[in-house]
Amino acid sequence: MSAYATTPDDQNDRFGSGLAGAIVLHVVIFAGIIGWAFYQHANADRWGENASSVGSIEASMVSAIPLPSKVPPVKDNVLTPDDASPAPTPPPKEAAAPPPKDTDVLIKAKTPEKPITKTAPTPTEAPPKHPQPTPVTPKATTGEAASQFPQSVVQVPNGTATITVQDRTFGNRYAYYVSIVGATVNRNWYRQEIDPGSSQGKSVSIVFDIQRDGSPANVRLLTRSGSASLDTSALRALQRVDGFGPLPSGDHITVEYTFDYRQP
Amino acid sequence: MKFARAPHFLIAAATLLCASFASSAHAQDWFHLETSTGADRIRIAVANFKPQSPAVSSYKQTFDTTLFNDLTTAGLFDIVSKDMLPQATPGFPAEINLSQWSSAPSSAAMVAFGNLNLQGNRLVVSGFLDDAKNTQYPQVFAKQYNEDASDDNARQIAHRFADEIIFRLGGGITGIAETKIYYVKMLGSNKEIYEMDYDGANQHAITNLGETSLSPRISPDNSRLAFSVLGTRGWSIKMYSLLLGHLVNYPSASGGDISPAWSPSGQQLAFASSRTGGYQIWISDINGNISHKITSFSGGNSSPTWNPKTGAQIAWISGRTGLPQLYTMDADGSGVQRMTDGGYASSPSWSPNGQFLAFAWDRKYGPGAPGGQDIYVMEIATKKWIQLTHDGGRCDFPSWSPDGRHIVYANSSDGRADHTRIMSMLADGTQKKALTSAGADMPNWSWK
Repeated sequence: MSAYATTPDDQNDRFGSGLAGAIVLHVVIFAGIIGWAFYQHANADRWGENASSVGSIEASMVSAIPLPSKVPPVKDNVLTPDDASPAPTPPPKEAAAPPPKDTDVLIKAKTPEKPITKTAPTPTEAPPKHPQPTPVTPKATTGEAASQFPQSVVQVPNGTATITVQDRTFGNRYAYYVSIVGATVNRNWYRQEIDPGSSQGKSVSIVFDIQRDGSPANVRLLTRSGSASLDTSALRALQRVDGFGPLPSGDHITVEYTFDYRQP
Repeated sequence: MKFARAPHFLIAAATLLCASFASSAHAQDWFHLETSTGADRIRIAVANFKPQSPAVSSYKQTFDTTLFNDLTTAGLFDIVSKDMLPQATPGFPAEINLSQWSSAPSSAAMVAFGNLNLQGNRLVVSGFLDDAKNTQYPQVFAKQYNEDASDDNARQIAHRFADEIIFRLGGGITGIAETKIYYVKMLGSNKEIYEMDYDGANQHAITNLGETSLSPRISPDNSRLAFSVLGTRGWSIKMYSLLLGHLVNYPSASGGDISPAWSPSGQQLAFASSRTGGYQIWISDINGNISHKITSFSGGNSSPTWNPKTGAQIAWISGRTGLPQLYTMDADGSGVQRMTDGGYASSPSWSPNGQFLAFAWDRKYGPGAPGGQDIYVMEIATKKWIQLTHDGGRCDFPSWSPDGRHIVYANSSDGRADHTRIMSMLADGTQKKALTSAGADMPNWSWK
């Protein structure tokens, strides 16, 4: 209706212009607030959005289907220790395709089977001889990854956790223990402590020993990430762990835990 | 028209204000209480054990059920449904075809299997745990158990095997399948102390006094049971030796003694006593000697519970400001801190790791007030709390399991005292289940 615009000027000029100015100012301010509100409403994060853990509690009881994790290999993560041991040989080729035949004639498939070369990719020393039932199973067609590398890679809500046992024999023999260690560290790592801004894309490595009784010891940073909050949260995670459960064998193992922070 | 719009401006401005508060609160507002993280739960298949002789079939039924329930209740694992298991029943490591178990539909990471045999009058159970994904070295452990053949022993063996699995795979968590729960059984007008396994099986009487016995508390070494009794001369604390099987001496003071609580060392007993007037918290040794008062607040003080981790603090309920509230203090009575900010709080229980207090709380107490008495857990360092029971009727008397991952409590769905039963849940409020039928109250979980 714009009642103010049609106010006759002749009544009180000074008052009118001042009032008009004030109204215009208010309208501009209100318009700005509304505009900002709409903009915020449309674009900004809302409470409860885009965070790995919200509210007062984190209870993630949803069980994922334990498919083999599809974590892309981490480029700058070292599988091998620094002292230049040869890079691990590539994983054995999956039952190499039958050699291409010149002739199309497919003779019956009973070609002399190549001995299946699905051995561990690295020479492993003889494992401790426990009374060991020889599994009569054929090689499983899935899940080799767990036993091939003494390593467990877990995708967590805001990053990738990789755990490596420096003793390959142990890692192969007790792959389940390695994954328990990884899960326990993940559970005790409160990633809300990490400052997302300065840690994005950074990666921290910690090394610790696990004693015979399962308690962690000698925790130290192997590679600093450059983000103080990421480094601190890694050390705190280990401080929260009372124990991983007793070692299945041996006196102690040394474990390297790398965490790549990627806030989606 | 302009005025019609003004409220919208106000709403917009208020919304903005709230949003900015909420987002800043969200930045540091989190509280970590979880019993397991879903993504890294280990998937375990529990095979039915193979009977080696037809005579063990009844034990086998008990054993299989108990083992499956123990592992499910632990809340640590993703248990493969029995429907998805392969048809074969392996009894020995040589008989198992792990690829059957590691592939769909069971997709198990671990397989527990074994066999039962009857040798003379002995039940011999061999249990194995295999890592189904590790084709090279599958075996995690093998155990053999040998007990007199009885249904109860079959259940105990299953508990021990389940605890062994949890011990190996739990990442430092010890199993609770062998623990006990002590509770009050309502028998007409009398109330007696009973004992049962942690899963509600094997319920049997401990006391037979023909009086009203309440608040049983088991000692840390499982040797003694302290409880309060309403006798002809009022309330007193009695001490029952589980090793000797009868009451042992504990002096009764003039004026009521109620709600005993063991220190984690097992050398001291805290309790509430009115021997000097109003109810105050006292501490004595386990023979009732050297008793001394550590509080002197008006309004009634009761329900002490020690910090089991340190043994240096006590939480209790005090009515010094009106309605009963939850407080903590050092064991010498200093450093008093109020934990709850209102309502009606009762029956605290301190978590084994020392970080949390579970207690019953009616936050809107009073005539006609909404809500009811429910179980809450508070993180002591931050005084943040969460509510674990909702709309299930009156809940009271929480008690932590020794692994700090379960809570047992008394629940009455319609609020009537004689309908109270004992329930357990995971410490995040999931997996609630009843352990007893109506007529049981005041549970106390053993320390180990």
